[in-house]
Amino acid sequence: MMFILRRLLLTIPILLLVSILTFSLIHMIPGDPARVILGQEATPEAYQALRTELGLDKPIVEQYFSWLGKVVTGDLGMSITDRVPVIDLIIQRLPATVELTIGTFLVAILIAFPAGILAAVRRGTWVDYTSTFAALGGMSIPSFWLAMMMIIFFAVENQWLPSSGYVPFSENPAQNLMAMILPCVATGLRESAVLMRMLRSSLLDVVNMDFIRTAKAKGLNEARTILGHALRNAMVPVITTSGLMIAGLLGGLVITESIFSIPGFGRLIVESVFKRDYVTVQGAILVSAILVVLVNLVVDILYAVIDPRIKSGKGAGE
Amino acid sequence: MFSKKMNKTLLSAVLGTVLLVTGCGGGSGSSAPGDSNNGGTAAPAPSNEKKVLNIGLKADPPSMDPTISTSLYDRQVYASLYDKLFDISPDGKIVPMLVDTYEVSPDGKTYTFKLKTGIKFHDGTDFNAEAVKFNFDRNMTTEKSKRKGDLKFVESVSVVDNDTVTVQLTEPFAPFLSVLTDRAGMMVSPTAAKEKGDDFLNAPVGTGPFVFVKQVKGDSVSLKKNENYWNGEVKLDEVNYKVFTNGTAKVQNLRSGMLDIIDDTPTKEIPAVEGDSNLQLIAESGMGHQGLHLNNSAAPFDNKYLRAAVDRAIDREALVKVLFNGYAAPARTAFAKGNLAYNEELNKPVAPNADEIKDLLAKGGKPNGFEFKLLISTSPENEQLGAVIQNMLKQHNINVVLEKVEYGQMLEAGSKGDFQAMQLGWSGRQDPDGNVHDFVVTGNGNNYGRISVPQLDELILKARAEQDESKRKALYDEAIKVSQDEAVYAYLYHQYVLIGMNKKVTGFTFVPDGLIRTATLDKQ
Repeated sequence: MMFILRRLLLTIPILLLVSILTFSLIHMIPGDPARVILGQEATPEAYQALRTELGLDKPIVEQYFSWLGKVVTGDLGMSITDRVPVIDLIIQRLPATVELTIGTFLVAILIAFPAGILAAVRRGTWVDYTSTFAALGGMSIPSFWLAMMMIIFFAVENQWLPSSGYVPFSENPAQNLMAMILPCVATGLRESAVLMRMLRSSLLDVVNMDFIRTAKAKGLNEARTILGHALRNAMVPVITTSGLMIAGLLGGLVITESIFSIPGFGRLIVESVFKRDYVTVQGAILVSAILVVLVNLVVDILYAVIDPRIKSGKGAGE
Repeated sequence: MFSKKMNKTLLSAVLGTVLLVTGCGGGSGSSAPGDSNNGGTAAPAPSNEKKVLNIGLKADPPSMDPTISTSLYDRQVYASLYDKLFDISPDGKIVPMLVDTYEVSPDGKTYTFKLKTGIKFHDGTDFNAEAVKFNFDRNMTTEKSKRKGDLKFVESVSVVDNDTVTVQLTEPFAPFLSVLTDRAGMMVSPTAAKEKGDDFLNAPVGTGPFVFVKQVKGDSVSLKKNENYWNGEVKLDEVNYKVFTNGTAKVQNLRSGMLDIIDDTPTKEIPAVEGDSNLQLIAESGMGHQGLHLNNSAAPFDNKYLRAAVDRAIDREALVKVLFNGYAAPARTAFAKGNLAYNEELNKPVAPNADEIKDLLAKGGKPNGFEFKLLISTSPENEQLGAVIQNMLKQHNINVVLEKVEYGQMLEAGSKGDFQAMQLGWSGRQDPDGNVHDFVVTGNGNNYGRISVPQLDELILKARAEQDESKRKALYDEAIKVSQDEAVYAYLYHQYVLIGMNKKVTGFTFVPDGLIRTATLDKQ
């Protein structure tokens, strides 16, 4: 418990830092939100009026603290361009991204585990070379290209799967799942390559250790040695990688989201940056940072579950 | 052992901000083998009972309230939600829509509108003279209204009887009816507008063929049939607008049947649409123009000869062929075909003449050529355009340094006058005035190039007050000549409207404003 509490307390300065960083970064981007919102049709009076309305004429430090003051009370503010509460936008967009992230991750582990284990066990054989080659290919193919090819093959040439048409799961589960297959596979393939490589090298480290030799000497067959003993010990770096991957996916699926027209969180952030919707960007990044922190917390807890030495906080690296 | 002591706390902080960067990387379209044929497979028809039309838009329509709208994509959705006092006909003329008949006083300052009767807003409110007055007042007085400029010359609006309104202008303003074919002429329900206030943009109510259901910001807008539409029965049950920022993905969704119509087809995807036997391409001349803003107030383009050298050195015919495969028209004026002020002779491209350009450079004091920086926006098509211009000018010792900037940055540079040249055009308006007044008259909002030619100002102001069409046209001809002589802005091409459509969609009529009018559409 203390461990979790300590971690949670640590997040406060992190979130403050993130908020200051995003606030300064977005204000450093050239291009004034009033200008972007008004577009080419702006008159100077309309421009000034909008700046005043948005509070952009106040000093930047004052703008930051007035925003922070509201955030502390749970109010992320109103979107500059959409005039709806930022929190509503986030709640509307987050489920699609979370679903996409889970789907992508499932695809990734479903491929990475069998392939990674096989490649490690059959090291130096054609199995290893083939899966390594496939993994390198997977890492090198840009996901937008793969997505487009999959749309052309699965949705245009053969009408097996829809090319878009996301609806929330609660509205129509069947249509939701159908629409999620292509995007999850398109991003999952790439992510599986990273995981597979990590699992392979970590397993190879472990299988050369003494306790594995002992297990084998006891007469355990190969499958039980690998699955029962080696895999668990090889999991720590895989979990680290998975944690980073999930954290990255939660905000970084914008390309997949825009190709498959999924109303996701990544697109919300990027669109808001283009529209200079400061308030939404700040709110969304903050939520994103909270998610990253939470994912890391889960990763830490998992470490402790897998390797009890970590729980003591002394680390296992001594 | 493993490096478990990795500092995840720091990582979290970095990741949070870096997510932004990961999000922004890439995203441009891929090149798809677009012309592979569909082999005649039919698109999956949704359910038989309901006729649902899905329209793909290039960008998100940010606001459903015409009073505060500043986006072309809003207007696409408005074509389903709202009716206007006047509309544009397929041949580009102004025709009454919610107005039945109208009269203009001889001095051009009083307009009397007799309204159509028996029309109701989606919420049941009557459309009548009071509603028209309410809409004018709302557009002219609401603090956040973006229509104040459109209605600048409206002095007052008065209700004569239940279906007659008079609008009094402060001075004759020939483009007035044209303004009412767009957002300033759209009628919203007074009841809903009063009740919702600022929130009307999230709960719009009009008289149009479709009723608002919901909007997922940045993603989609859903509408359903207006059962009581005044102008003939609506055949579709639902219309959905879906945002596809990636042009290739949008075209592939048209091919797969997820979309029925797309608002715009990227040039490189035209073969994919044309090669698909289930699809058709509507390619028609639009009302807008694209070109280069030259900063008339700063070196090197404060020199008229250097501006002219750039203007003359661009081979528009070749540019249109190379970049658009002919799906655009070369431009030397702000007026596209079909516009009142269109003048075929003056708009005709002139092939560059090396001697003439050399002469201009010499007169401009740069006999050995010069260099300038051109701002272009980051779309693949604009990048290509920049490269083509760069190559064309190089042959005449004019060196172009290209700088890619994002749209918001471009507008900022334009408003501050902090640039030498920038590529930015205009979607176009039905009336000639809407394509020049704000762009070339001294001190106006979109006059990024700080153009200030007294003779040009005079001609354009005179033309907007002139009621007689032929006299107006003569004034614009004169203005074009002055503008070409001074080379104030380098007009390059008139963009085409390139609508991609499934052949199952029937009842489509092209209107030069490029907006998809859903009232008459049906799906087989």
